[in-house]
Amino acid sequence: MRFLPTLLLALLGSASAAKKSPEERFQTYHAKALSSAPVKLGDPSYRELTGTPRDYTVAVLLTAMDARFGCQLCRDFQPEWDLLSRSWTAGDKKGESRVVFGTLDFADGRDIFMSLGLQTAPVLFLFPPTIGSHAAASPEPIRYDFTSGSQAAEQVHAWIARHLPDRPHPPVKRPINWMRWISTFVILSGGLTASYAAWPYVLPVIQNRTVWAGITLISILLFTSGHMFNQIRNVPYVAGDGRGGISYFASGFQNQYGLETQIVAAMYGILALSGISLAIKVPRISDPKMQGIAIIAWGSILFVVYSLLLSIFRGKNAGYPFSLPPFM
Amino acid sequence: MSADPLQALANAGQGKSTRSLLRVIILALIAAAAIASRLFSVIRFESIIHEFDPWFNFRATKYLVANGFYNFWDWFDDRTWHPLGRVTGGTLYPGLMVTSGVIYHALRALTIPVDIRNICVLLAPAFSGLTAIAAYLLTNEMTPSSSAGLLAALFMGIAPGYISRSVAGSYDNEAIAIFLLVFTFYLWIKALKQGSMLWGALCALFYGYMVASWGGYAFITCLLPLHAFVLICMGRYSTRLYVAYTTWYALGTLASMQIPFVGFLPVKTSEHMPALGIFGFLQLLAFLDYVRSAIPSRQFQTFLWLFAGGTFGVGLLGLVIATSAGIIAPWGGRFYSLWDTNYAKIHIPIIASVSEHQPTAWPAFFFDLNMLIWLFPVGVYLCFQELADEHVFIVVYALFGSYFAGVMVRLMLTLTPVVCVAAAIAVSTILDTYLSTKSPKPEESQAAEGSEGKKAGKSGLKAASKPVVGIYGLWGKSMMVSALAVYLLLFVLHCTWVTSNAYSSPSVVLASRLPDGSQHIIDDYREAYQWLRQNTREDAKIMSWWDYGYQIGGMADRPTLVDNNTWNNTHIATVGKAMSSSEEVSYPIMRQHEVDYVLVVFGGLLGYSGDDINKFLWMVRIAEGIWPDEVSERSFFTPRGEYRVDGEATETMKNSLMYKMSYYNYNNLFPPGQAVDRMRNARLPEVGPTLSTLEEAFTSENWIIRIYKVKDLDNIGRDHAAAAAFDRGTKKKKAIKKRGPRSLRVD
Repeated sequence: MRFLPTLLLALLGSASAAKKSPEERFQTYHAKALSSAPVKLGDPSYRELTGTPRDYTVAVLLTAMDARFGCQLCRDFQPEWDLLSRSWTAGDKKGESRVVFGTLDFADGRDIFMSLGLQTAPVLFLFPPTIGSHAAASPEPIRYDFTSGSQAAEQVHAWIARHLPDRPHPPVKRPINWMRWISTFVILSGGLTASYAAWPYVLPVIQNRTVWAGITLISILLFTSGHMFNQIRNVPYVAGDGRGGISYFASGFQNQYGLETQIVAAMYGILALSGISLAIKVPRISDPKMQGIAIIAWGSILFVVYSLLLSIFRGKNAGYPFSLPPFM
Repeated sequence: MSADPLQALANAGQGKSTRSLLRVIILALIAAAAIASRLFSVIRFESIIHEFDPWFNFRATKYLVANGFYNFWDWFDDRTWHPLGRVTGGTLYPGLMVTSGVIYHALRALTIPVDIRNICVLLAPAFSGLTAIAAYLLTNEMTPSSSAGLLAALFMGIAPGYISRSVAGSYDNEAIAIFLLVFTFYLWIKALKQGSMLWGALCALFYGYMVASWGGYAFITCLLPLHAFVLICMGRYSTRLYVAYTTWYALGTLASMQIPFVGFLPVKTSEHMPALGIFGFLQLLAFLDYVRSAIPSRQFQTFLWLFAGGTFGVGLLGLVIATSAGIIAPWGGRFYSLWDTNYAKIHIPIIASVSEHQPTAWPAFFFDLNMLIWLFPVGVYLCFQELADEHVFIVVYALFGSYFAGVMVRLMLTLTPVVCVAAAIAVSTILDTYLSTKSPKPEESQAAEGSEGKKAGKSGLKAASKPVVGIYGLWGKSMMVSALAVYLLLFVLHCTWVTSNAYSSPSVVLASRLPDGSQHIIDDYREAYQWLRQNTREDAKIMSWWDYGYQIGGMADRPTLVDNNTWNNTHIATVGKAMSSSEEVSYPIMRQHEVDYVLVVFGGLLGYSGDDINKFLWMVRIAEGIWPDEVSERSFFTPRGEYRVDGEATETMKNSLMYKMSYYNYNNLFPPGQAVDRMRNARLPEVGPTLSTLEEAFTSENWIIRIYKVKDLDNIGRDHAAAAAFDRGTKKKKAIKKRGPRSLRVD
């Protein structure tokens, strides 16, 4: 019975932290983690948990969730972090991997942020054990690099697992997104019903050659005007020219803006349309006068737009020597 | 037939034989023009193999010619990928080398003494002539107008999108592959139109040749099933399709499996699965077709489609399950990156690092195809007019090809043939309309319209529902024709200009202009490789970034650690780590790999952009992929996120082997404190980097290539830093001991 007050004291008072053995500390925090992972840390408990003789690993996320700080990355990463720590702790109830997951919010541990000199959040530290069979050479924590790529739980899991060789790595278990399954099912069945009901009306559209021709031409124009480049590179739609105006065309052969590709696609479209008209429609006009007007109209549109296209291309490729009259 | 553009000129020759003679002459001239426009580089520089990959192909061809086919087939190359070696015979596409070898031996048999190098240099232009003829044949299958074929041949011959990979000296797989691609498509259309097993077998034969030549054969493997599938969806299943497809698939797959590098991939990997799936689907359709003819029933049609659709669905499900269960290999990385455009960026930096795998911006399309790019949709639209089976092929190919060309710059090459064909159809339709000497009489045609108006409304396109009357005014005709002539002339000028300015540089030899306008050749690469050849032992291992592996193997004939055949990512990452780490870390790595010399490319003096410092981040990234704890891309950026090489550069950057090798002794070229990197416009620190484990062995005339010799272990057992400090006379006994760099001993 003498143990009980001491244990209570140990749990409550951080002053006695230094006296507790690493094993005790781990058991305390592991028990906390089992009830709610990650452990929400404060100033004293952070110091206690990361105190130096330790035979366990601590993964701490230093974050700033308060809306005042406007830390988007913190908010994006928090659910992933919770998921990771929960599934890790749930997969390792006995604590064989000897990892404690903790979260320290800026609001709870201002001093620690100050003492570490942190200017940004979130920061993920991994404190390796200093004693025991897996002891690392340096007690200094390892910092996770948030800059590269996405911050999925799996990626952080891989990073932690890499630093903890020869220990169990409980995998990340994502909960099943029931909402998504249900909504997919509803949408699918609704779509099927609708298409069944509308089939007699849809069929002529599907079998309409002009519709298919239109779809084909639009996709070709999209692809050949660099739409995939925009998709892959996430280029800006337009950019300022530095004098308060808008610059429609990116400088340089390997760059483009979203609007620029749309302009180019439209010009290709006009050129193709006049080509189609000249090839198919004009010879089918039976009125000689109308036909003459159509030839002149389409012919000159073709000429002018092509000339414009060449001049735009000259803007992209400075050494290009060719041009046609109106836009020399 | 009557509206051949040349026919109007050559009115005298109305006979059929005159016309075919003219056609042959024109085709021959086009082929000659195609070859001639690819000779810029030979005339301007010399008959030399270009760039990187061609050097390997050239070396392999020399091996084939010297050692015979069977030795080539079993070739194990121990002079690359030291110390692993490479089973070269089993990991290359032998089509190109075998083609050159056959030509070489044929010419020898005809007692024409010719150097193998000249065959290799001129192979691509020669095949481009054949490609033009293949484009002519393919287009003639699409349209009755014979001028379209000639125009397609001309476009194909000079379109920069194809020239970019087939100038003289560009001895790469694509050189023959594009001819094979176009010709296989021609044979496929022929087989499909006639339902002929013979044409199908020929198609399979050329498909096999294509598989032996280029990894891009997967394009055919996916396009033909897609075409068949679209035809089936349109309700156009026919015995012709069945015969053509099954013949091609069965024979073509067998042929492709003869290539050791391909082996059993056609029945294992997912990119070959559509072909297999359609093959099975066609069997089912044929079976049901037979059943229907045997058992007449009204409800059979519904049953048929349900059954076929259900089986297809089950097959697809089976494919998905088999893939996820690991029975079928997952999608290949390069292929996968085409669909999920972010895949490569995250998972395979080595694929993302290759500039040909970047997406295509619109100027590149215009640069490579000029006016064909807007004639292309016109031609595709014209294909919708009639929409026979072969026109469906053009439509499918156009969509498929333009998507892939948009995702990857390199695949502009596979788009170019269909662009040429479609544009030729468009131009020839316009020319046929406006060059016709016959003008309709207004009264006649208006009367004809009244009677014919309803009858001709059968065509599927709305625009083409009225009957054709023709063009009335001569002025309208002449206006259009002259405008088109201007466009065509501009196209030819554009192609010549692009070829001469952008695609004719061998990149082994660089050209620059002197102030007086005369040309100055910068020949640092060959100078350095020649130095290696003459001054190093024959088995001296050279470490360099993988870009230069083939060139070192081909020109300097020295073993390399990594080369452009990027089959072993870890080995490349090892080199990346050695380059991006400090000397203390790199030296053991180099010792372990028996490296004798290290070669770096440095463009700072000349302002040459393709140097190693510019590629350096890729080395770091690739190394980080394998050793994330030891190499970190972040530490090469300043806290403000800049990639710098001047005094502000990070310590990791300054201590990296690559940085040291690039800038070693560089400041001695300039007055004190004035050293400038002209490529990155950076003023370098006054004190240059010091090297203790390497010594400078050679620096080329313009400092583009720098070669360092790896020092042997110190003969009195000091570590290299201490020895170097002693040599510099700065040795302080205590300070050295305090600094105490890690032991460099390698066990």
